[in-house]
Amino acid sequence: MIELETKGTLTVNEPVISIDNLTVEYVSPRGVIKAVRGVSLKVYRGETLFIVGESGSGKSTLGLAMLNIVPRPGRIAGGSITYHIDGRNVNILDLPLEDQRAFRWKNVAMVFQSALNSLNPVLRIWDQMYDTIESHDKHISREEVYEKVRRLLYLVRLDPDRVLKAYPHQLSGGMRQRVMIALALLLDPKVLILDEPTTALDLLTQKSIMEVLKNIKKELGLTMIFITHDLSLAAELADRVAVMYAGKLVELGDVYDIFYRPRHPYTFALMKTVPKLTSIDEELYPIPGSPPDMANLPPGCKFHPRCPYATRACSDVEPSEEWLTPSHLVACHRHRDLSLRVEAR
Amino acid sequence: MSLKNLLRAVLGNYLFKRALRAFGIIVAASTITFFIIRLMPSNPIEIFINQMMSAYGMSYEDAKAMALALFTIDLDKPLHEQYFEYVTNIIRGNLGTSISISPGTPVMNVVTAFLPWTLFSVSISLFSSFLLGITLGMIAAYRRGGIFDRVVSTVAAVTSAIPGYLLGILIVVFIGVRFGLINYMRGAYSAGLTPGFNLPFIVDVFLHLAAPFTTYVLSTWGGWMLSMKANTVAVLGEDYVTVARAKGLPEGRIRTQYVGRNAMLPLFTSLAISLGFIFGGSTLIENVFVYRGVGRLLWSSINARDYTVMQAVFLIITISVVVSNFLADLIYSLIDPRVRVGG
Repeated sequence: MIELETKGTLTVNEPVISIDNLTVEYVSPRGVIKAVRGVSLKVYRGETLFIVGESGSGKSTLGLAMLNIVPRPGRIAGGSITYHIDGRNVNILDLPLEDQRAFRWKNVAMVFQSALNSLNPVLRIWDQMYDTIESHDKHISREEVYEKVRRLLYLVRLDPDRVLKAYPHQLSGGMRQRVMIALALLLDPKVLILDEPTTALDLLTQKSIMEVLKNIKKELGLTMIFITHDLSLAAELADRVAVMYAGKLVELGDVYDIFYRPRHPYTFALMKTVPKLTSIDEELYPIPGSPPDMANLPPGCKFHPRCPYATRACSDVEPSEEWLTPSHLVACHRHRDLSLRVEAR
Repeated sequence: MSLKNLLRAVLGNYLFKRALRAFGIIVAASTITFFIIRLMPSNPIEIFINQMMSAYGMSYEDAKAMALALFTIDLDKPLHEQYFEYVTNIIRGNLGTSISISPGTPVMNVVTAFLPWTLFSVSISLFSSFLLGITLGMIAAYRRGGIFDRVVSTVAAVTSAIPGYLLGILIVVFIGVRFGLINYMRGAYSAGLTPGFNLPFIVDVFLHLAAPFTTYVLSTWGGWMLSMKANTVAVLGEDYVTVARAKGLPEGRIRTQYVGRNAMLPLFTSLAISLGFIFGGSTLIENVFVYRGVGRLLWSSINARDYTVMQAVFLIITISVVVSNFLADLIYSLIDPRVRVGG
């Protein structure tokens, strides 16, 4: 079910992150797998950007790369990730290790996919909150930490007295995800990355987590980057949407462009996989074929084997990114001659 | 609270139930050993008679008369009567007297002469081996696929595949004999030294410990190392470790509180079980180095069919293993909040 809401208009277009030509690869016995293949992207202050795509499209890796914590055997092979914070331009990939450590969470925090495994099972919630603050601010008193933690737990609608004493296994999945969200907000980060924040949860819990996130967006006004394949979440919260396929951006635009005027056949196909509000018996259209094998990518446009509009050129040359309007980017050879229409939902 | 409720509370108590079960296991195990020991071919008197006949050329009758005068045990009694006697003695705290190893000496004295050496040597070796194994295992996991990992893992697999006593013999042959250190590979201290808390004696004790210590550590560290490596690799892949990195925690804290603690949890059970065997000594290794430990005592009492000593040693091993398993459960529930003692 998709339901578009009026978004706050962005008046200042001041980037907070500039990702430039980022490449992330994993070294595996089958060879080098490029999970992110030259992504360039700007994230603007105060906006909510959604990065959507199928499993294996490199969107989670992109999220991890933004904190420079891609786990082994992955590594960032090229490009830069520059944060524009407090009037300084900092490429996190160039920072010395100790400065990186201090930079993380304070400037950019992340809520992870698996609510169930994101918390250390042998430490109480309070200890995991406290060690986070303490490793960034040695002089803070326990009372100050407690005050702050309590406030944040109220914000995510949890009872601090009950939660702080508990071990992770004593909390439900939804509660653990709320704890993670509170934990992510602990150091007042400028940017919050949320990797599939609702995927591991049941529908009702998803709904209430979404309410919490909307509330946070309204109250704190921070820059949020959602990484998800949940398009209904995007419709509800996004200002802009970036669509990834096989490690590259294939389309980027504001939420209306992407939902109503997609220009890439993949985005178009993605929109058709979502049920409409107006009819219940209409058929859904799954995207034919399966996501490409990242160790053995097809030549040319990576989507061409699944694309109904593919021509000769598509299998030979990989299309370059092209700005259609100052805010709408697409990488497709045929964007000019195709008219892809999505009916109102 | 009425007596009935009190009784129910006590009987329903987890600790009480565990203790009761532990006691049952000890009774069952010692009963079984009592009978199995007596099912072994030959008996202490036969073996003594044979020794006397071959060593001093005594006639069978003379040797038998001597044995009967020396030994207080009457093996012609029906088994169930012997068993009944054994149980009543144990309840009175009497383990009986040694039959043939050192006839007439209370078993308690025999055992206490050997037990401290085993406790000393095995506990030092066990903890060293454990610490060495988990440290190297963790380093190897952090550098998995690298040179360090490959070399250490291969060596660990090889050394833990060789039985301890063989390693001991190799040490005796290649180090003891070649470098003239063989005197330090016999017994727990040099003959002629009087045990006491003086420097020469303590140095001598540690020099004698070196060979069995090395053997024990070499044959057991690999197991600890390989399982610690596997656990650490698994924990490093857990999301909470990635979260800890993202949170900007110092690497040292991640290593101890996030990776180390979680990776070590499963090893605590194995460690606690091994603790039980500290009391049993390491029979084969102690034998190679003629070390004055419970393991060696067990070996010689089996050879001499010294029933009472064997019973005592097996009883000690049974009790310590059962008790350490019990403690392992309790400690595990303290260090892993997910495991609750209950029900």
